[in-house]
Amino acid sequence: MNPITPIINGMKITLKHMFMKPVTLQYPDERPKVAERFRGLHALKVSHSKAKCVACYLCPTVCPAKCITVEAGEDANHDKYATVYEIDMLRCIFCGYCVEACPVDALKMTGEFELANYSRQDFIYSKERLLEKQ
Amino acid sequence: MVNLTIDDKQVTVPRTATIYEAAKLNGINIPILCHDKKLKPFGACRMCLVEVEQMKGRQIPACTTPVTEGMIIRTSTPDIIKARKMVLELLLLNHPLDCPVCDKSGDCDLQNLTYEYQVNSNRFTDEKFHHEIDYNNPLIERDMNRCVLCGKCARVCDEIVSYGALTFIDRGIETKIGCEFDDALNCEFCGSCIAVCPVGSLLARPFKHKARWWAMTKQKSVCGYCGTGCNLTLGVKDNKVLTTIYDEDQGFHKGQLCVRGRFGYQFINSDKRLTKPLVKKNGVLTESTWDEALEIVAGRLKVGSSVAALATPRLTNEELSLFRTMLLENVGTKNFDHAAGYAHSALTEGFAGSFGATASSANILDIQKSDFLLVIKTDAYETHPVVGFEVNMAVKNKGVRLSILSDKRGKLSKLPDAKTLVHMPGSEVAVLNAIAKIIIDEKLVDASAASIAGYAEFEKALSAFSAEAIAAQVGIVASDIKKLASEYAAAEKALIIFPTGQAYTGHNADLANAVANLAILTGKYGKEGCGVLCLSEKNNSQGAVDMGFYAQDGGLNSLQILDACAAGTVKTLFIAGENPLVSYPDRNRVKAALDAVEFLIVSELFLTETAATADVVLPVCSYAEKDGTFTSTDRRVQYIKPAIRKNVQIKTDFEIFSDLISRLGGQAPLRPAAQFEKIASNTPGYFGMSHITLQKDGAFAPVKITPAFVTPHALATVAPETGKLALVTGSALYHSGSLSQYGEGPMHVCPEGYIELSRSDASANKIAENDMITVSSATGSMQLKAKVSLRMPAGVVFAPYHFSTAPINTIWSGAPVTMVTLVK
Ligand code: SF4
Ligand code: SF4
Ligand code: SF4
Ligand code: SF4
Ligand code: SF4
Ligand code: FES
Repeated sequence: MNPITPIINGMKITLKHMFMKPVTLQYPDERPKVAERFRGLHALKVSHSKAKCVACYLCPTVCPAKCITVEAGEDANHDKYATVYEIDMLRCIFCGYCVEACPVDALKMTGEFELANYSRQDFIYSKERLLEKQ
Repeated sequence: MVNLTIDDKQVTVPRTATIYEAAKLNGINIPILCHDKKLKPFGACRMCLVEVEQMKGRQIPACTTPVTEGMIIRTSTPDIIKARKMVLELLLLNHPLDCPVCDKSGDCDLQNLTYEYQVNSNRFTDEKFHHEIDYNNPLIERDMNRCVLCGKCARVCDEIVSYGALTFIDRGIETKIGCEFDDALNCEFCGSCIAVCPVGSLLARPFKHKARWWAMTKQKSVCGYCGTGCNLTLGVKDNKVLTTIYDEDQGFHKGQLCVRGRFGYQFINSDKRLTKPLVKKNGVLTESTWDEALEIVAGRLKVGSSVAALATPRLTNEELSLFRTMLLENVGTKNFDHAAGYAHSALTEGFAGSFGATASSANILDIQKSDFLLVIKTDAYETHPVVGFEVNMAVKNKGVRLSILSDKRGKLSKLPDAKTLVHMPGSEVAVLNAIAKIIIDEKLVDASAASIAGYAEFEKALSAFSAEAIAAQVGIVASDIKKLASEYAAAEKALIIFPTGQAYTGHNADLANAVANLAILTGKYGKEGCGVLCLSEKNNSQGAVDMGFYAQDGGLNSLQILDACAAGTVKTLFIAGENPLVSYPDRNRVKAALDAVEFLIVSELFLTETAATADVVLPVCSYAEKDGTFTSTDRRVQYIKPAIRKNVQIKTDFEIFSDLISRLGGQAPLRPAAQFEKIASNTPGYFGMSHITLQKDGAFAPVKITPAFVTPHALATVAPETGKLALVTGSALYHSGSLSQYGEGPMHVCPEGYIELSRSDASANKIAENDMITVSSATGSMQLKAKVSLRMPAGVVFAPYHFSTAPINTIWSGAPVTMVTLVK
C-alpha cells in the first residue's frame, strides 16, 4: 500500500470532524443538562418539615456497597426516626437500590454529580447534608 | 402408635399427637399462628387448616385435631391455600401494616406468612383499629392494633407463668387483649408474652428500635444470674449485646426466661464496666498497666499462708478450679471459700452427710414427673423463677399436688389447691423433723429405711419432735403437720424443693439433713419424680462446690477469713467477684475486715463498694465474653462460648489466674478447654465430658447417692419479743445477688430496697405504702421504703438483700431471723 494513503485517510476523518458539532462540553463554563432519572447524590425527602425516613433499615440492608449507616431512635411521640443517617459516597456505586427499597418513599437521587472534595471525611454525608434542600 | 397418610406419605405417630404434630414429626410443614408447642391447643387463627378425607374433605384445624387411625390428610390443596389466603386477608384487614417501624419485622409470623402466601391485595376494606398503645411500663410496650388475637400471651401468662395479667376483653370486632380493668400492664415482667407473640403487639422496650432482627447475630449462651441455668440466645450487633431472643427449642425450659434473664443483660455492655487495672497509689486508685498490677499481686501472693481468697460462684468451673489450684499449689493456702461460707452448706455439709454427695438427688425435670411437691419457702419462686414455672406447669397441667412450708405466703401459694403452712420464721427444720416423727409413728416408713445407717439414732432423736409440741412452738395446727406428713408419705412420687442463698441463712446443713431424712425415710429418692432438690443461688454455685472451692481440710471459711483479716492473721485477701460489703451479713464485721487487711485484691466487672476499698482492682470479663462451663443447680454442665469479643484491655479471670501462676513460678494451662480436661478427669460425675461434647446441650453430671440418716440436734428457737417484728431476709424476684443492679430491666421494676410488712403491722405502726421507715435491730438501723402486702403474716417483715443503696446487712448480722423495730 502507498505509504501516503493512511495519512490521507486520517486527515479526511479529521477534516470531517472539524465541521461536526462538538460532543464535549466546556465544563465548567457550560453545564450538562442532567436527565430526570439520573442517579446522583442522594437526598432525604422532607415532609411537614421532618425527614420522611422512618429508619426502617431497608436501604442499608439492600445496599450492595454497604455504605449506608442508619441508627434509629424514638422521639417524644414514640415515633421512629433516624438519629443517624449517613452515606459514604466513596463507596456508593449509585445503583439506586436504596431508593427502590424505601417503603415510605423517603429517599431520592438528585442530579447533583459534583461530588469532589478535599478530604475523605467530607465524602461521608450526614443526615443534615442529605436533607432535601427546599 | 397410629398409622395415617399425610400428603400421600404413610406415617406412624404417637396416639396423643395432633395432626400438626404428626406432620411436623414427618417433616411436613403446616403454617401456624396461634399454636405454641408449650401451650395447650387453642385453635384461634385457622391458619393451619387441612383437609381430612374421612371428614368429607371438610377443612379442619390441624393444631387442635388429634390423629386417628387411617386418617388421610392433605395439607396444601388449592382449596386450602385459598382458605389460608383468606385468613391472612382478614387478619391484614385491620392491621396497621407498619412493618417499617415495627421491631418485629423480619421475625414476624404474619409478615412471613403474608409473603409466603403472596397476599398482595385485599378484597375487603375496613377501618384500622385505633387502640391506645400502652407505654406505661418501661419494659413491655403493648400495641393492640397489631394484635392477631392468637391468645398466646394470655395463655403463656396463665399456663406457664401463672400470673394471669392478660386476657381477652370486649367482644366481637372490639375484642382485644387487655389487663385488668383495661388498665396499664403491671405484672412480674418476665417477658414471656413478648417471646410468644407472633406479631409486633408486644415488644421489649429496652430494645426498641435498637436493631433489625436480620442485622443481629444470634449467640447461644447460658444465663449468668441464678442456678436454674436457663439457656439464652443473645442478639448481638456491633459487638454489643442488644437483647435476648426467644428460641422455643432451647433448654429444658423451651426458651422461657424470667425478668432477670430476659431484661437484665445490660451489665455486659455497661459503660460503668472497668476497663483498666487500678492500683492504689498514695491512697487513691489510679489506672495502671496489667504488668504492673499483676506483678504487685504476684509479689503479695508469694507470702503464702497469710493469704486468703473469696470467689463468686459466677466464675466458670475452669476459673474456679484454676483459682483453687493456684491457691493450693502456687500460693500455699487452704483459706478460700465462696458464697459467704454458709450458702453452700446445704450441699457441702448437709447432702454430703445425708447422701454422701455434695449435690441434689433430683433434677429440675423431676418436678413435672412427680406426684407431690413439698416446697420449703415460697421464695423458691423468687430465687429461681423458671423452676417456679416448672412447678406452675406441674400443678396446673399435670395435676401434681403442692404443699408449701413457709414463713410467708407467696406466688406459689396461689396455685390451684396449693396448701401453705405458714410457720413462725426460722422453724422449718423443727416442722420437718416433726413430719419425720409422724411418718415413723404412723408406720409410713419405707421398707428400705430401717437398714440405712443412722436409723436407730435418728428415730431416738426424733422423740423431741412430737407434732403437738412443735405445732405449739411454730404456730401451725398439729393436724396440718400430720396431714402433710401422711400426704408426703403416701404419694407414690414426691419431691422436696428448697432454695438456698446468701440471704437464706436458715437454709443450711440442718435443713438439708432434715429434708434428706424425710426422703430417705420414705424411700423417695433416686427415682424419677422423687428426691430432694436444693436450688443453689448463683449460676455456678453447684459448680463452685463441685470444683471444691470451699473451706476444707482446716481451711478457713468466708466468715472466718473475714475475722482473720480483722485479727491480722490474714494479710492479703484476693476477692474474685464477690461484693461482701453488700451481700455478706454484718456490714460492720466485713468493713472491719476489709479495713484491717493489709492488702486487698479485687477482680471485678465494676467498681463495687468492695472494689473501691481495694489496693489492686483487676477488670475482668462477664459470661458473655469468655468461654468455659457452668453447672446448674441440678448438675447440668453447660458450655458457654463468647457472645462478643472482649475489650482488649480486660482479661478473663482465667487469664489472670493463669498469668499469676506463671509469675509464681508454676505452669498453667493457657485455655479453659485444657483446664476442663483436668476437671473431667478428677471430678466425680464429670468423667468423659469435654468442651466439645458439651457444645450442644450440655450434660448432666450424675450424682451417686449413699444414703445415711443424720441425727437432728436440738434447735434454738427464736423467742418473739413484744413490740418487735421478726425480719427475714431473702431475694426479690427481679434480682439475683448484687449483679442484677447493673441490669437495667431489673432496676426499672425494682430499683431500691424495701421492707415488706403485713397490713396489720402497717396499721398498728401507722405505716402506709412507700413511707420511709427506720428499721432498727441490735446491730444498727437504716431507712427502708415500706411495702404493705397481703402475703406477710402479722409480726413478720421481709427485706431483700441485693441493694448497695440499702445494704440490709447494716441491720442483719446473719441470723435467719432478726428482731427489729419499725419507726415511721
Ligand atoms: S429505606 Fe427509606 S425509610 Fe428505610 S431507612 Fe432507608 S431511607 Fe429511611
Ligand atoms: S406485626 Fe408484623 S406485619 Fe404487623 S407491622 Fe409488625 S412486622 Fe409488620
Ligand atoms: S411479662 Fe410475664 S407476667 Fe407480665 S403479662 Fe407477660 S407473661 Fe404475664
Ligand atoms: S398480643 Fe400477640 S400474643 Fe397476644 S393475642 Fe395479640 S398477637 Fe397474640
Ligand atoms: S435468672 Fe435464673 S431463672 Fe431467670 S432466666 Fe436466668 S437462669 Fe433462668
Ligand atoms: S395454628 Fe391452628 S388454629 Fe391457629
